[in-house]
Amino acid sequence: MHRRRWLIHVVLRALSHRKGRTVLLLAVLAMASSLATALGIVSYSMEKRVAEEVRKYGANLIIVPDSARLDVGSGGLNFGVISEPTYLQQRQVEDALAKSALKAERSFHLRGALHHKDADIMVEGVNFSDVRRLFPWWQLTGNWPTAGEVVVGKDLADRLKLKAGDIMECAGKAQTMRLRISGIVSSGGEEDGLLFLALSDLQRALGLEGQLSLIRLMVTAGGETLKKSAASLQMLLPTAKVNEVRQTARTSEGLLAKVKLLMLMVTAVVLISAGSSVAGTMSTTVLERSKEIGLMKAIGGTRWEVMLIFCGEAAMLGVLGGVAGYLFGSVIAQFITRTVFAASAEFVPWFLFVSLGISLFLALLGSLGPMVSVFKLDPVRSLRGE
Amino acid sequence: MSSAFCPVKRERLLRMAENIIETNGLTRNYGDICALKPLDLQIPEGEWLSVMGHSGSGKSTLMNLVGGLDRPSAGSLQVGGKDLLALNEDGLARFRREFVGIIFQQHHLVPYLTAVENVMMAQYFHSVPDEAEARHALERVGLGHRLKNRPGELSGGEQQRVCIARAIINSPKLLLGDEPTGNLDHKSTVMVMELLKELRAEERFTVVMVTHNQEVAGWGDRTIYLDDGVLVREERMR
Amino acid sequence: MAIVYKMIPHILASFGIALVMFRGFSGRRSVVALTSIAGFVAGAAGAVVLFRVYRGTIPFGVIKTALGSGFLILWGVAVGVMYRSTGRGTAFIGGERFVDSSYYAGICTVISSMVAGAICMSRLPVADSSVLKVAVFVFGGGVLACGVVFAAKILEKRLPAAVTVTQSGMLAAVMAFLLMSSSSTLRLDLFSPLSMKVMKGIHDFVHQFMESILIPDHLFVQPVVWKYIGYLFGKGVGFWGGMIIWFTPVLLIVLANQLERLPSVAHVRQGAQRRKLIFAAIEARRFRLVIPMFSVIVFAAAAYQSSFPSVEYWDPKPVPVTANQAGEIFIPKQGEINLEDGKLHKFLFKQGGREAKFFVLMTPAGKLTVVLDACAICKPDGYGQAEGSVICYYCITLIPLETVGKPGGCNPVPISFTEKADGVIIDGMTLVNTWGATVQSTARVKEGGK
Ligand SMILES: Nc1ncnc2c1ncn2[C@@H]1O[C@H](COP(=O)(O)OP(=O)(O)O)[C@@H](O)[C@H]1O
Ligand SMILES: [Mg+2]
Repeated sequence: MHRRRWLIHVVLRALSHRKGRTVLLLAVLAMASSLATALGIVSYSMEKRVAEEVRKYGANLIIVPDSARLDVGSGGLNFGVISEPTYLQQRQVEDALAKSALKAERSFHLRGALHHKDADIMVEGVNFSDVRRLFPWWQLTGNWPTAGEVVVGKDLADRLKLKAGDIMECAGKAQTMRLRISGIVSSGGEEDGLLFLALSDLQRALGLEGQLSLIRLMVTAGGETLKKSAASLQMLLPTAKVNEVRQTARTSEGLLAKVKLLMLMVTAVVLISAGSSVAGTMSTTVLERSKEIGLMKAIGGTRWEVMLIFCGEAAMLGVLGGVAGYLFGSVIAQFITRTVFAASAEFVPWFLFVSLGISLFLALLGSLGPMVSVFKLDPVRSLRGE
Repeated sequence: MSSAFCPVKRERLLRMAENIIETNGLTRNYGDICALKPLDLQIPEGEWLSVMGHSGSGKSTLMNLVGGLDRPSAGSLQVGGKDLLALNEDGLARFRREFVGIIFQQHHLVPYLTAVENVMMAQYFHSVPDEAEARHALERVGLGHRLKNRPGELSGGEQQRVCIARAIINSPKLLLGDEPTGNLDHKSTVMVMELLKELRAEERFTVVMVTHNQEVAGWGDRTIYLDDGVLVREERMR
Repeated sequence: MAIVYKMIPHILASFGIALVMFRGFSGRRSVVALTSIAGFVAGAAGAVVLFRVYRGTIPFGVIKTALGSGFLILWGVAVGVMYRSTGRGTAFIGGERFVDSSYYAGICTVISSMVAGAICMSRLPVADSSVLKVAVFVFGGGVLACGVVFAAKILEKRLPAAVTVTQSGMLAAVMAFLLMSSSSTLRLDLFSPLSMKVMKGIHDFVHQFMESILIPDHLFVQPVVWKYIGYLFGKGVGFWGGMIIWFTPVLLIVLANQLERLPSVAHVRQGAQRRKLIFAAIEARRFRLVIPMFSVIVFAAAAYQSSFPSVEYWDPKPVPVTANQAGEIFIPKQGEINLEDGKLHKFLFKQGGREAKFFVLMTPAGKLTVVLDACAICKPDGYGQAEGSVICYYCITLIPLETVGKPGGCNPVPISFTEKADGVIIDGMTLVNTWGATVQSTARVKEGGK
């Protein structure tokens, strides 16, 4: 038989001989490495997500009415839940933009509710040409609308069982409209639950001619320039609030940082206690098995060879604990991102190696002391039974 | 080899070929306790030597020194032409696995390995494990039906026979037994001794065996008596 | 100081080669020592002559050819060794005796150290320096080679005697060190061109044989198939294909070593003796693995170095430009940007939602060129400028400055322009249309695969 295979065989035999202790050590190692893995996966996938959001929206400004509350979503960037309907004057905004000489792509939005079949549905009025240009990630099945047509968010369409070509009748405060659905839109964001129609149509239907609830600006600048642009716009629009979208991303980052810190501390505590409990268990094991160690040396094992067998046990525990820790840690990561961030964690295969590394490191570090005593053990004394 | 032309060294070489073990003033102290007083002992190759003496007289100490498990405090010790004092710890381990087979009173076996695997452990430290050979060795000691049993499932005599199989698996030149029959009843004792005699006839190893039992000592060619670390008497059987 | 720093990989490589040679021809240490120094000096001197006679790419081509042939030989040997390990013996007549002779040792050492010396010289400014300085370089190289060889000889004596190396393992190690040494120079690097070749080969294959399938509404082909065809256009294909070709020979040698038969021990009567023989054979085999395994690491280092060359690229931020009423873009030669300083200058032109990135560069021949910041075959990741060449970020192909402005391959797509005394004039429409025609399509195809 191959020497290596024999070593693994002996190690497995030894581990299965002391099942209770093996299970205990495995549990400790798996727990420690799973926490570390979960921490890693959560911060990795959330960081990536936040970075993606920031990139997706570019260097952006949004203008909302002053009294509107900017509700910040945590993971996804949901903003603009308006507590009291207040509006911005389209005219005023356009003037301000012209005066500020800000080079920016703009998109005007008006949020409101329309009555459809005994229920209110959230509607957003937009200029479709702006939308097409500024939000290229919207995925549309069907066609972009022409006059008298609308597009429906995917979730809303599913809920109301609408499909392209359907005619729906919607009533606003001021007038009722017959609208033909030209397409279904999905963006993966809050847009999926909205109905989109031409801005001017919605303004007319709600009796809010020339009013807006949100303006999105794509300023081709970043960092300090963006801050300056926001400030100068704010001066020109005293009744509005100019926000950088990065702020919202920053809020997510802040939350992420806090969760990370918390988990880091928990992980540190767990790692330390796991390491010491591995050390404790291992040294009792070695004490109990001193006769066996002495015997192995007596029948011709060098100090290194005998130590290798015991290191093999630690390493085997480390590997098994690491694999279990990875699986368990991925589940924990899913749980955390679901509950805290309302998003799903990514499946990150290479974290298996991180988990394995941590578990192996703990197992070997914890058995460092016991290994030294294995190395030093005098066969004569241990066989005499001292 | 220029040493072959040096008369003194050649004489030593020749002597070595006869004596597998040679000690000169071999001493072992444990702190103040002198477990083995300076001892001069020659054991010719192929001899079966019995060592007797009351408890604490230094028999085990002598065994451990000769088997390369322990180091003397003073004196010289040559086993199989090797100066054991010149070897370091790992060198001694290598010496043990190639040269010596050891059988203990408490049949020290690895508890979680089967009989075959216990024998294979010795093969592993020596070179590579070979299951067929290990099985054959166990069959030779009459344990062909107990291959897959753990030590806990074997009787004392059977365990001792596993130890014998393990001790001879690497074809040692020297077989050491530290009261191998001390824990066995009369029937098992006879069985083990018969087995050892049989194996020695085939493999031609030298035997050094500690025993309390006059009858067991009678199986050997020569018996030495130790008292308080001193060789007090020597008796030749045949 | 900078020169010494630059020389470190080459010194290490020479050291490694000498070390492996000493171990491989352990009976002929003095022959190896002598020939490696002589070979190094001869290679260095030969390279100097080449660089001074032919300026430009020819000397690099010569060294690259030598390296490439070495790599091919390694492939052949690896396949041969693998074949032999399966038990079908191939004893070639007289081969064994030749391999044992000191001629063979000398020839092997001379050739490998010649290449090492030539690579060393290619890092130094030998083409433009004075004769005296060049002589100093060659002499210094010789002295350095002596030092390195003797250091290697001393270290080799201290290595455990159990570590042995087979002929194939020695070849693998020497090639690994040479390739590591060459990959620190962009113009001698083999790995990137190799993966580029693989990528191009696959592209051509797809174009030749799958053209009909690529028609979207093909009768028999599901749209899913498209996705998989798209994978063939990814950068990964070239990279992984290159990796396979790069590592296979040395891995074959490793594998052949592991597959080698253990000696027959059936005639040995005693079990312990038998096991001991087997154990000794296994140990010896394991020690023979040390050098090939180490070569795998060196090969990996070479591939890494060529994928992430430690070169600072000149890559300015694109300057936005606009067209006048006639649709023409005027870029002044002097002013904020000096177009004629031999560096590439990037510009960004936007028109009606369409845009094009391009750069202007004065070639070493003194001609201004205007080209897109993209080529016709890669994803438009753009170019950066390294010494003597621009590099396509996507496929890491080097394009010598001399050939910028010529169409084809991964060369940046040339744009027609008119040169005035004070600047260049480019037609905006042409620019955007060329971008749309060549770049947009490649970008889409490649994204489709992702
Ligand atoms: N490790 C030790 N430390 C101290 N004293 C020891 C040690 N080992 C043996 N001795 C002493 O050496 C003497 C000889 O012991 P030993 O050789 O085991 O006797 P026995 O003939 O019974 O085998 C005893 O007096 C014992 O107490
Ligand atoms: Mg005793």
